[in-house]
Amino acid sequence: MIILANGNTTEIAQRTDDAERLWVRVGELPGATGWQMKPQGMCLGEMCVPLPDDKVEEWIADAEDWVWMCYSEFADMIGQQYARDGDVWSLGSVPDVRRSGLEIGIAPDFEVTERSGDTLRLSDFRGRKVVLFTWASW
Amino acid sequence: MYESIGPDRFELIGVAQDSGNPKAVGKWFDRASPTFRCVIDPTHHISSLFGWVNVPSAAWIDEEGTIVRSNEGAYPGESTVRFGIGKVRFGDDSFGRATRDWIERGADSEHVWTSAELAERLKPVDDDTRLAEATFKLALHFEAVGESDRALRHFAAAQRLAPDNWNYHRQGWSHRGTLYAGLKVLRRTSHLRKTTDKSFYDPTGLPGEDFRRFTAPEWLWTPVARRVKQLLQR
Repeated sequence: MIILANGNTTEIAQRTDDAERLWVRVGELPGATGWQMKPQGMCLGEMCVPLPDDKVEEWIADAEDWVWMCYSEFADMIGQQYARDGDVWSLGSVPDVRRSGLEIGIAPDFEVTERSGDTLRLSDFRGRKVVLFTWASW
Repeated sequence: MYESIGPDRFELIGVAQDSGNPKAVGKWFDRASPTFRCVIDPTHHISSLFGWVNVPSAAWIDEEGTIVRSNEGAYPGESTVRFGIGKVRFGDDSFGRATRDWIERGADSEHVWTSAELAERLKPVDDDTRLAEATFKLALHFEAVGESDRALRHFAAAQRLAPDNWNYHRQGWSHRGTLYAGLKVLRRTSHLRKTTDKSFYDPTGLPGEDFRRFTAPEWLWTPVARRVKQLLQR
């Protein structure tokens, strides 16, 4: 199964007995979705979202020798949109992250590869003014 | 602009937002041989993060990592794109001048936005917009792995969900080739020019901006046709 999220493509294991929903092994959550399961709930950076008590049993399951989380149910709860075609799932941006960051003007951080092959991280330029622009050949 | 203002005074990062055709980007880079930082963003990740819907778009980010301005249609000067028997002229130097002012004067520049102005100018993001984003990324994935039919289906779905997002239209159309994409842009802009008040780019609101709702192409025969029209009107 392939997850597209945050500009990354990640191949992850698939739970075979429920193909309708997106189940992710708990250990694969951070790499595939950015979210991490912690005692206080699901966390993305500084933000944590507690899981509803009545859903924990349904959304976190032992199956096929692994612990899985039903990510599509969680995404529905937080209003994260996703699109799917076969075994490829594409996750849209997380509404709260986008709102809280952009509305107070914090430039969202990103990591991309320069043409020279070096990794460029926006936050590496703190202390300098940055003009960031997009263009395309089309 | 980068060299005349001074590379030691700011960082200029150019993001080539192209999927499926790294060769096209490479050719442009080689021709321009830029001295600033160049990155390729085949998944349009940066536009998603900044909420940009067309190219060129640009943000000014200050020393604290705060966005102090973000615009579409951020041209350094007037540009002309030629396509055989026609050309389109667009852009002006207002954004370039304002950028220079900000780099020189920082927070004292009159072109810096307050956080209230930034929030006001951000495009509202609803569920359809977010679903369009996820769908568009699905299309890019299938394009990258060579599954054209699936890519086209998802490009079309993303375009329907977010009809104002020119990135989705232009990138999706270019899957069928540059000529096809060029003709589609001309056709859609011509239709919108006649039927709506929408713009190809949101106005920047900068002084000296030569804002055109949609720029009409000039064909080889346009000057002659214009002259004939003038004569007939006499």
